[in-house]
Amino acid sequence: MSVKATGPLPFSPKLVCFTCRFGWGYLNGSKAIESLHNVIPVTCSGKVDASHIMEAFKSGADGVLILGCPDGECHFQNGNYQARKRVLLMRKVIEAFGIEHDRLAIELDMDPEGSKIEPLIEGMRERISRLGPLSPKGVTANQACTGKENLR
Amino acid sequence: MNEKPKAAIYWLAACGGCDETIVDLNEALLSVADAVDIVLWPVAMDFKYSSIRSMKDKEIALSIIHGSVRNSEHEEMARLLREKSQTVLAFGSCACFGGTPGLANFRSRKDIFQWVYRDAPTVVNPKGVYPMTETKVLDHTLKLPELFEKVYPLDRIIDVDYYLPGCPPPPDLVANAVSAVLEGKLPPRGSTLAPHRPLCDTCPRNESKPPKIEIPEVRRVHMVEADEGKCFLAQGLLCLGPATRSGCGETCIRVNTPCRGCFGPVEGVDDGGAKFVSCLAALLSAEDEAEATRVTDGIADLPGTCYRFTAASISLKGKS
Repeated sequence: MSVKATGPLPFSPKLVCFTCRFGWGYLNGSKAIESLHNVIPVTCSGKVDASHIMEAFKSGADGVLILGCPDGECHFQNGNYQARKRVLLMRKVIEAFGIEHDRLAIELDMDPEGSKIEPLIEGMRERISRLGPLSPKGVTANQACTGKENLR
Repeated sequence: MNEKPKAAIYWLAACGGCDETIVDLNEALLSVADAVDIVLWPVAMDFKYSSIRSMKDKEIALSIIHGSVRNSEHEEMARLLREKSQTVLAFGSCACFGGTPGLANFRSRKDIFQWVYRDAPTVVNPKGVYPMTETKVLDHTLKLPELFEKVYPLDRIIDVDYYLPGCPPPPDLVANAVSAVLEGKLPPRGSTLAPHRPLCDTCPRNESKPPKIEIPEVRRVHMVEADEGKCFLAQGLLCLGPATRSGCGETCIRVNTPCRGCFGPVEGVDDGGAKFVSCLAALLSAEDEAEATRVTDGIADLPGTCYRFTAASISLKGKS
């Protein structure tokens, strides 16, 4: 999957990606992963707290992708399952805050070379770009109080 | 003659429960009234805003402000009291985190207006009359405050010196806070005048908690008769105790009702709702994807449950 093949994106989404060190890219050393923008290797996908996901969105991310180990292959027994449950719950939470649930995704797979990471990120960026940018809602009362909006 | 320190008590978007808890100080309130000169308390006494406006800056020793900031009048009064006060105490969950009015942030202002003045089944409004910020009547222009797009906790609008959460804050913490201010024995600015530990630590049902809680299905309070001696989470009922600050006196737990989170996140945590989501995910006993989807889909209003009192404290971009 390539961004170029589908033409320029309507806008360039910022994606934060958490990758499990045990399942993703360990053969290439961490440098290859860290050279990718906004990719954060973690000890286990189960280490990614719901507040990390919220923090990414609060910091301006347009989407969050978590890469964990396949079913039954978590180095720490069930961290990937914990991450999946968190994602399922957080998709409901972010929707309430006006962020489409598709902006949060989890992929449970194994990729020792780490070669799938970049295409996965690009694929998700492309999906997010179709959703459009997240617009800032009023930060201060003065900004929110426009008085011009048609409320009917 | 030495002048007594001046104090103001003011409500913004509030229900009045916080005023009630101040009245619940009972006899202690009389000694507070002896020690301070109350210059503003709309629910109990008659004062004019103009008398506050004519005061010197920082003339008021303590302003106790409860309620969230919802409209332009709230903002104006919050700014005025900040200007005239040495110390501002955000009093109650609405002032601290937005409180239940903050749940309105899950909707746009337009949605809310359309529902309240047009679409709700109990509304009869054939002429489509909506509240306006200005209306001309004969030769006069009548004005109403403007409803903001969002609900704001007090500290998004003005600097707040201390926080006292609770819906409402319990009288013992109120008395401690007031005497700390009067005696000048206050912790560093920005502190929350309540214990730091989570509610589970002080919960009378803590002993009943099994070593590992597993929730195969989330249940709601009206669906079951909750066991009065057993941890709510162990019964599959959502209780925000693990992610909520203690200090409330466990009043809900004692009447067999799970914690709703009115004391907000524990010390050092900004987003208590997300912390509860993480906790809940670990308790749900579902491993494969289909089962996890089924269990999480069965939870009614998860965002409203996790952020019942704190939705307004979360600043996120989003689609309007």
